[in-house]
This record gives sequence, structure tokens and C-alpha cells, in this order.
Amino acid sequence: MTAIPAQEQLAARADAAPLPRRKGRAGRLEWLAVHAVFLVVCAFFLVPFLWLLSAAFDAKAKAYIAFPAQPTIMNFVRIFTDYDFGRVLLNSVFVSVATMILVVFTVALAGYSLSRIDLRRKDWVMYGVLLLQTMPIAATMVPIYGLARQLGLRNSYLGLILVHAAIELPFLIWLMKNFFDSIPRHLEEAAWLDGRSRFRALVEIVLPLARPGLGIAAGLAFLSAWAEVLMVVILIDQDSLKTVPLAFYQAMRTQGGYTEVQYGVIAAMAIIYLLPVMVVFFASRRLMVRGLIGSTRGL
Amino acid sequence: MATTAVAANARRRSLRRNRLYLAGLTPAAFLLALFFVGPALWALASSFTNRALVGLDAANPRFVGLDNYIRLFSDPDFGRVILNSVVFVIGSAIIGQFVLGLLLALLLDHAQRRGFLATSLVYASVLLAWVNPTIIAGFLWVAMFDYYNGSLNSGLQLLGIGPVNWLGQGPMLAIVIANTWRGTAFVMLIFLGALRTIPTDIYEAARVDGAGPFRRFWDHTLPLLRPIAALTLLSVTIATFGTFILIQALTNGGPALQTEVIALYAYHEAFQNHAVGYGSTIAVVMLALNFAFAAVFLRWSRPRV
Repeated sequence: MTAIPAQEQLAARADAAPLPRRKGRAGRLEWLAVHAVFLVVCAFFLVPFLWLLSAAFDAKAKAYIAFPAQPTIMNFVRIFTDYDFGRVLLNSVFVSVATMILVVFTVALAGYSLSRIDLRRKDWVMYGVLLLQTMPIAATMVPIYGLARQLGLRNSYLGLILVHAAIELPFLIWLMKNFFDSIPRHLEEAAWLDGRSRFRALVEIVLPLARPGLGIAAGLAFLSAWAEVLMVVILIDQDSLKTVPLAFYQAMRTQGGYTEVQYGVIAAMAIIYLLPVMVVFFASRRLMVRGLIGSTRGL
Repeated sequence: MATTAVAANARRRSLRRNRLYLAGLTPAAFLLALFFVGPALWALASSFTNRALVGLDAANPRFVGLDNYIRLFSDPDFGRVILNSVVFVIGSAIIGQFVLGLLLALLLDHAQRRGFLATSLVYASVLLAWVNPTIIAGFLWVAMFDYYNGSLNSGLQLLGIGPVNWLGQGPMLAIVIANTWRGTAFVMLIFLGALRTIPTDIYEAARVDGAGPFRRFWDHTLPLLRPIAALTLLSVTIATFGTFILIQALTNGGPALQTEVIALYAYHEAFQNHAVGYGSTIAVVMLALNFAFAAVFLRWSRPRV
């Protein structure tokens, strides 16, 4: 769901005015109190990840944190030999990149067109688009399964790419429309007078100015296609089409019961699953924070 | 005469241009129709049938009128499910994510202004829990909550508490903790952004007037945060209402329906009991509740469109 005003405030981000450091006993006490709280907060948020790291490199990983008694990379080797992870990774990269390209193309066209079109009740169209963004995937999961089965979109790359392209679309259309609204029309009109076609004017003059928006769209589309699991679970049951989220989901759910849980192997999978997310996110944190805040909804 | 001709000409040109723009909207409209509007209508249509996943009713669903809705509202499990959803939203979205997120934002904003270096580490660790895929969050907390070996019980035993059978005896508390861990960053980010926009001279003036830190927070910070707080609250409520994969990974609604929320109930009816018509009915109710929240949200926020 979108928190629109907040997004603008984040974008405005007037820099926080520094406070003078307190001197003496009061200052030391404050430092101590703040850092004690920091320690608790960090423990809460980081311990699960520290465990993940220790388990992935431990031959006998258990559910508790311990420095690996037998440090090993065998867990990573095993997911490729026992779980055919090479194929899985390739599928995931293909689906995510294809989704990203489709989304950038679609939202650039749609955002630009919505920004420039003359409609009597354009604001209602925009409210409608925002309303779609609030629809939880969990609620449409059953009907999407039924529809995809009737349309023959199950067990195909095309179905996966289309559904992943659609998931963040309402928010991204809204975002891109606002980006294009801020680009004055006379720029492209001048290009038309120069004899450029409508399409060339859009590609050469307008799109370069909308680059931050296109960056958010590309990053968010890639992240969501890479990470999203529900749609993959209901659309794919052929092993040759499996992507990383599905492989992880299956590995996790078939464990337990009477067999000992292979925490090490699943943790290794989780790390490979997590790595691109962290790279994309922390490489362009400000854009991605903006994108993720706007598109947040339950998964 | 000349002016009307020019006007007619301009209108014709703008109509022609509008047709181009309409063409530009078609790919997006196609995708939205296929995966948002279509499924919603499909659910609505199926909710009036006895559509099933397998068997005779799968091929030829029969129209059953309002039977599914009558069954749903007399289903004792459904009351339980709604109650669970409400408890989960209040626990993890309002008490957990919202309160913790607000407190963290206030703390980090203050620490940053004081120039404490550890601030960005804390900020990054809260964010990390938020950006990782939900199913990984589920896996991490399955391990954390493990009865015999989990890090949580190991830690508690050092303090002389436990072991606690998290997923068996306190499953609702467990999923509330896991979802708080996952979603706090969203609230924190929004309030951090909001706090930065509060002009600092207000505080200077209040300090000169002799107002203590608590007074300054109560009189100046809080009123300025209130409009954004209402929206954020609604936003996390809507997001938490749709939580599915995290709960499925941790408890799958169990034990004995103790953590079965509405999204899981629709899924279990459709895919485990093969009752697609009934599952669709639950999905329709869920969508209706969601749109009610969303309509309030749009009214309050009046986004610039």
C-alpha cells in the first residue's frame, strides 16, 4: 500500500540539523543509554542473519548460533549437485530480467500517456489504479490460479513474466505519471516541430529526464520478480521451470517431520537467494527505499 | 468563423493525439485487466458457484446462488479466522511495527543529530529485515523459534527462562514477533522522513521558554506527526491484513486454527479442501474489507494525481 505524502517528505529530506554534543557526565550517561538500546535493537534484528551466515558454512548446522565447528562450503556445493540449482538460478535470472524489461517498457509508455492524455475524469482513473495496488496478492491467489489454468498460463515462462510484471504495475504507473507530469510539455513539443516523430521525441527528449523514475521501476521490478514466491508456487509445478523462490520454498517445506532438518543446505540457498536483493537494494538505497515504501503491501 | 475553424482543428489534433496516448496505455491496461480486475471478477463469479479444484464440479461448476455466503457467515471457523486476523493486525501492525517503528525513528533521529556513529549500523540492520524476501524471514524465524535448539530459547535459558514452546503453545505471539521484526522498517522510514521536515527553530523557541524534552515532544513533535501517523497506521493495517507467506512458513495456520488468518483460510479451502467456489467467497470478503480500508486511506491522504 502506498503512503504517498510520506514519500514526498522522504524525497524532500531536509538535512537534520545537528545538535551540539553534550559535555561531561550527562553526555556520557546519554551516550551509554542510547548505545545500550542500540545493542538490544541490533541483537533483535541481526541475530537471525548471523545464524543464517553461521549455518550456511557449517557442516552440522543446528537451529542455534554457533561458530561453525567444521567450517565448510559443502552446503553450497550440495545445492548445485543435489538440487540442480544451476538450472534454477538460470530460470530466475531469465524471468527477473525479462520482467524488468517488460515493466520498464510498459510503465514508460503508460505513465507518459496518462500524464499527457486529455480525460475528463483522470483523477478517478488514478484513484482506481491506486486502489488496485492495495489488493493483497493472497486474496487474488485463488482466482489467478483458476484464470491461469483456463488460459494455459501455468507452467510457462510467459505466465510467470506477465504476472510478475503486473504485481508492482499499479504503483509504478502512478509513480511514472507523476514523474512525467513534472517534465514540461514544451520540451517534446519543440522536438515535434523539429520534425521528430512522437516516439523519437519520447525516447530522446522525455525519457532521459525521467531516469530516476525508470531506475525505481527497473529495480523494483527486478527485486519483486526475483523474490516473489506465491505466484511461482501456484503457477509452476514443472521442475525444469523452477525458480529460486520455489526451490527454496520446496526445500524448506519438505524438511522436518522424522528426518533431521538440513539447515545448512537451506541456509546456503537462502544466502544465494538474498544476495542479489541486497546488492540491488544497497547499491541504490535511496531510490529503492522510495520504491519499496510506495509499493508496500502484504505478501 | 476563422476562430471556430482553428478551434475545430485543434480539437481534431488533440483527439488524434489522444488516440496515440490510448494506444500507449494498452499494454499496461492489458496486464492490469488480466491480473487485477479479471481475478477479482473471476472470484466474484466463482463465489456463486460450487466450483471445485478436481472432480466433476471442476469441469462444470453449478450456480448455487448465495449458498457460499450463507455458509460462510454461519461457519464457526470463519468467526475464529476473523478474530485471529484482528488480533494479528493489532499485535503486529499497531503495537509491534507502529509503536516500535515510531520509537526507533525518534531514537535514530536524535542519535543522528548528536552525531553517534553507530546510528547507521542500527538503521541498516532494521532495513535488512525488511528487504529480505518474506519466505526467508519465515525460514529464519522457524529456526529462531525451534524448541530444542533455537537461538531464542538458548538465549532465554542463559537468563534462566524457558524453554518456551513458541510455535506450539504461543503461536500467535510467535507470528506477531516475526512480523514485527519484518515490517518495522517501513514505519521507521516514514517517521524518520517526517521528523526531518520539522523545523528545528520550533524546538529552540520552546527550549528558550523552558520546556523540557518531554514537553517539547508532546507539544511540538507529536502534533506535527499526527496526520502522517494516521496514514501510516492505515497503511500497515492494510499490508498486515494481507500477510500470507510468513504465517504459512511458521505455523500454516495451526495448531488447531490458532493462527489461521483470512488469507490462509481462503487458500486452505481452495487448495486443500478443493472448494474453489467457497475459497473464492472468502477471497471476495477479503477484497471487500481491503477496499473499505483503502477507500478510507485515499480519502484521508488525497494523493496528488
